[in-house]
Amino acid sequence: MAAHYRKDSYEDDAHYPDYLGSRSPSQGYSKPQVYSQFPGLLNNLGRPSPRSNPYAAGSRTNPDYPGALAEPDYPKSPSNPDYPNPRNTPNSADSRTGADYPGSLPEPDYRDLPSNAYRSGSPGEPDYPGAFAGSRTNSVYLGPLGEPDYPGAQGDSSHPSPRATSNHRGSRRNVGYGGFSINPYADSPEEPHYPGAVRPPNSPRFFGKADYPGADGHQNSPNFWGEPDYPGAEDGRDCGSSETPEMARRGDGPLGILGRENEDFPESIEMTSRDMASPYSRSLPGTPGNGYVNPAYVGESTPGCDYGNPPLSECDWHKSPEGQKLIASLISMTFRDRIKTIRSQPKTMEEKRKLRNIVDREKSKQSYHTFEINYCAQCLSSISLAYRRSKNSLSELLDSISLWQKTLKVIGGKFGTSVLSYFNFLRWLLKFNVFFFVVIFSFIVIPQFTVANSNTVRFTGLEFFTGAGYFGNTVMYYGFYTNSTIQHRNSGASYNMQLAYIFTIGVCLVICFFILLSSMAKYFRNNFINPHIYSRGIAKLVFCWDFTVTHDKAVRLKQKNLSTEIRENLSEIRQENVKFTFHQRLTRFSVHVMAWLVSTGVAVACCAAVYYLAEYNSEFLKAHKNPGAVLLLPFVVSCINLAVPRFYSMFRLVEWYEMPRHEVYALLIRNIFLKISIIGVLCYYWLNIVAPSGEQCWETFIGQEIYRLLLMDFVFSLADSLLGEFLRRLIGMKCITSLGLQEFDIARNVLELIYTQTLAWLGIFFCPLLPLIQMLNLFIMFYVKNISLMMTFQPPSKAWRASQMMTLFIFLLFFPSFTGVLCTLAITIWRLQPSADCGPFQGLPSFIQSIYSWIDTLSKNPGYLWVVWIYRNLIGSVHFFFILTLIVLIITYLYWQITEGRKVMIRLLHEQIVNEGKDKMFLIEKLIKLQDMEKKANPSALILESRETEQQGPWRLGEHDVSPDLRFRRSVQEENPKA
Amino acid sequence: MGNKQTVFTPEQLEAYQDCTFFTRKEIMRLFYRYQDLAPQLVPLDYTGCPNVKVPYELIGSMPELKDNPFRQRIAQVFSEDGDGHMTLDDFLDMFSALSEMAPRDLKAYYAFRIYDFNNDDYICAWDLEQTVTRLTRGELSAEEVRLVCEKVLDEADGDHDGRLSLEDFQTMILRAPDFLSTFHIRI
Repeated sequence: MAAHYRKDSYEDDAHYPDYLGSRSPSQGYSKPQVYSQFPGLLNNLGRPSPRSNPYAAGSRTNPDYPGALAEPDYPKSPSNPDYPNPRNTPNSADSRTGADYPGSLPEPDYRDLPSNAYRSGSPGEPDYPGAFAGSRTNSVYLGPLGEPDYPGAQGDSSHPSPRATSNHRGSRRNVGYGGFSINPYADSPEEPHYPGAVRPPNSPRFFGKADYPGADGHQNSPNFWGEPDYPGAEDGRDCGSSETPEMARRGDGPLGILGRENEDFPESIEMTSRDMASPYSRSLPGTPGNGYVNPAYVGESTPGCDYGNPPLSECDWHKSPEGQKLIASLISMTFRDRIKTIRSQPKTMEEKRKLRNIVDREKSKQSYHTFEINYCAQCLSSISLAYRRSKNSLSELLDSISLWQKTLKVIGGKFGTSVLSYFNFLRWLLKFNVFFFVVIFSFIVIPQFTVANSNTVRFTGLEFFTGAGYFGNTVMYYGFYTNSTIQHRNSGASYNMQLAYIFTIGVCLVICFFILLSSMAKYFRNNFINPHIYSRGIAKLVFCWDFTVTHDKAVRLKQKNLSTEIRENLSEIRQENVKFTFHQRLTRFSVHVMAWLVSTGVAVACCAAVYYLAEYNSEFLKAHKNPGAVLLLPFVVSCINLAVPRFYSMFRLVEWYEMPRHEVYALLIRNIFLKISIIGVLCYYWLNIVAPSGEQCWETFIGQEIYRLLLMDFVFSLADSLLGEFLRRLIGMKCITSLGLQEFDIARNVLELIYTQTLAWLGIFFCPLLPLIQMLNLFIMFYVKNISLMMTFQPPSKAWRASQMMTLFIFLLFFPSFTGVLCTLAITIWRLQPSADCGPFQGLPSFIQSIYSWIDTLSKNPGYLWVVWIYRNLIGSVHFFFILTLIVLIITYLYWQITEGRKVMIRLLHEQIVNEGKDKMFLIEKLIKLQDMEKKANPSALILESRETEQQGPWRLGEHDVSPDLRFRRSVQEENPKA
Repeated sequence: MGNKQTVFTPEQLEAYQDCTFFTRKEIMRLFYRYQDLAPQLVPLDYTGCPNVKVPYELIGSMPELKDNPFRQRIAQVFSEDGDGHMTLDDFLDMFSALSEMAPRDLKAYYAFRIYDFNNDDYICAWDLEQTVTRLTRGELSAEEVRLVCEKVLDEADGDHDGRLSLEDFQTMILRAPDFLSTFHIRI
């Protein structure tokens, strides 16, 4: 019976630290015990692990390993592996009964080490047996217990604080004892070899077991860290005593104590803190790929509450290993990263400030040490400070011109993030256009102003719509710009208009390209981190409450919508397995095919109509001299753009998609196909029919056409927003109430924005002031849409994946839209002949010729030969581009392979998580069964234990008693196959 | 209104800038918002670091939080003592974590704390029930709520221990791209 107990309890002892470790600070201690099973793990630990040994030992197996106590004092055993092995081998090999200890204990190596002192000390303690036998009150029991563990106390009596701590926790401990207090007596005969050590060994062991929640391990630890043999122990002691009240207040401070330990031994910080960090981050077993192992986060995620006390005393967290590690890593960072990291700490402001001060102090100390005499460093630091200040003020300045902050807040508050994303997109486009306008205005328009002729054409109001007439003779269009070199009269400075025109627009487009690319990449990174694990889930509904929504009504509506959606989701889950019959599937498939055919057909028909209309239009214009006649084509195009998308969205009546997202995607693809192909047909018409026709100044003509298209579209959407939507509201409210209020159609509106932006980019070469017009357009549209939104719409009922849609929108803006524009402009510049008598490129065979001739002139000037070289060998060279393409392809391929590998890895890790979870549950069940058996077997223990339960809470006990085994058994399981 | 030099010392402002995601102007704006909540309580001079707390009743009545079903949890999580009464530091912390610039992990951490109603560092079924009830304003029946909680645990609980740890939560948040934009309170 006793043996059974013993074994059992011992098992507990041996294992639970592991489990505990996975979620509580004690793992650091526990490692040494398992390391024979985990050789790999051990190697990681390296040097510091012997140091943490005593804790493990002290916490429960202490007596069995007196050597462990001495370990820190044992300078000749720094290499961990050989040291623990002899001691632990028996442990792992046998059935873990007390009988093994004899084998491990008498290790001769330790005999003459300071541990002897301890050993001799403990038997010499007179009050021990008496106290033990006499009563089970904590104070008495604990006293002797504490002392044997406490070799430091023997040599150094100035250790009141740790002991105070242990006493303080006595109340908790005593509970633990109850169940197993028999055991020490039962066991002691079995271990006759250690007259001196027998009792202390047993008692802490049982003690450790019973006391299981981890407090004991830590409790003993102060004794060890306080050992005078440790270098720098003085500090530790100071620290300890000063913190004792703190700990007392908090119940205990296992980590705090540990933290002090680390602090005392700075050389071990790195390693130990890693030990510390890992247990926390492993509350989810087997997530090594967790990535974000911020020790600080992790620290707070420990189930400290289980023990009724936070693992860290908050004020001192920066003294803890995580804090130290964080500080160490912060010091080595650049300023920007440091600030970023500090900001991202989930700490209170006070702690962050402290952290910042500490790091700054350390940093200055460091720099003081390194560059004591070097004034350069001071210079640099002051420069960096000034840079930082100026950057701050710059960002403030930029921030102050951020438009519509308040309006956006209201929109977000009333309609949520999804509608907000439309307005954000609009604002983003507006910023783009402002940039374009500023650059073009300053480099093309202003120089042109200096040589402008007076405009003789009379101004009538109609020009605003046609863009022709008066405007044709202004800086607005290509045809007005001079081809001469503007020369300042006095100085020799000259300004070549040709080059300025082509370079400004080229640079604008290149910058635009990179901005688009980077923002697209950013969105992709944020929103498609791991697309293949993307699943429709109810969890996201539950945890993604839109905190932006602040309006009372909107909140209520959102709550209602959310409950509907959750209900839908539930019903979907319930009937997930409903399969469609073959007939149904066939019908649905044919409906899809039909819808696609019809939509494509409509788009093609529209394109054909636009093409023939455009061709006919030129003849029509010759016949009609009325200036308003030019508006026919833009009018038709805008009508198509207004009507056909609505026709497309009517498909939803017959088409049925499983997921609403698919419906949105289908709609988007059809719409973008329509709009882009109309623009494409127009481009084809302009470049292939208008340009070679030899018409006078065809560039200006194209510019005017684009202007009209843009303007007509603006007028249409204005009318649509103010009239159409208003009418719809009237109908919805008054006539057919079943229709209800409209929802804001984000997809259609965003597509309109993309369409106008494409036109604006396309026209930039022919009409340099187009960004200005687009700017005004967007600016007005913002207010119009805002008003119509507030008046006539209700928040969208479905949770709209706004951020993913944003990614898609930017992608659409980049791919068909911007790349199409680039292609068109490239064809224009390389292939087409500029008109003979207007514009900056008049008389040249092609636009690009201006660059060629510039290079030719440069090659005559020896000072600029490098430009010529770059041009000839890099930009103009086919070989260079060939090699570049090859390299890019190779890199892409490599990255693709890496991504594939990671995907596999992620899948495996995910499986591992699931398996570990299953393992855990299985083992917990098993352990609970075992415990039940044990309870049945020994009713007296049961009584005691129940008493203990009363104080500790049943769940806590169950949980902690159960938990320890898991890891150990796992490790055994893992070890066995290998062995 | 006093100008910013008298409210904070430059060092204080710099520290705030380094510890939050705000510019100086935004910090001042937030300060005045804070001050407006309790004009009698909050001094206009913070150079001496006065120990002032604005009670939760006032914090919860801010228009940004007034209608938020989680306002109490937000205030509790960000207040130092967990009672919802906030110092200026707590206040800035709160809006910093909820600002646009805050990284995903920080947001996820605080969201986790907010949804962890009983502060046991795990989101258990009870916490989920609370969350769902608040989200739907009691529109779902008890049976449905139970089903939802089951479903959520089923989906997100990576290690099958019947509750969500911070890691589970973070993994799940990774799959919800909208989280970044929705866990955001504009100021």
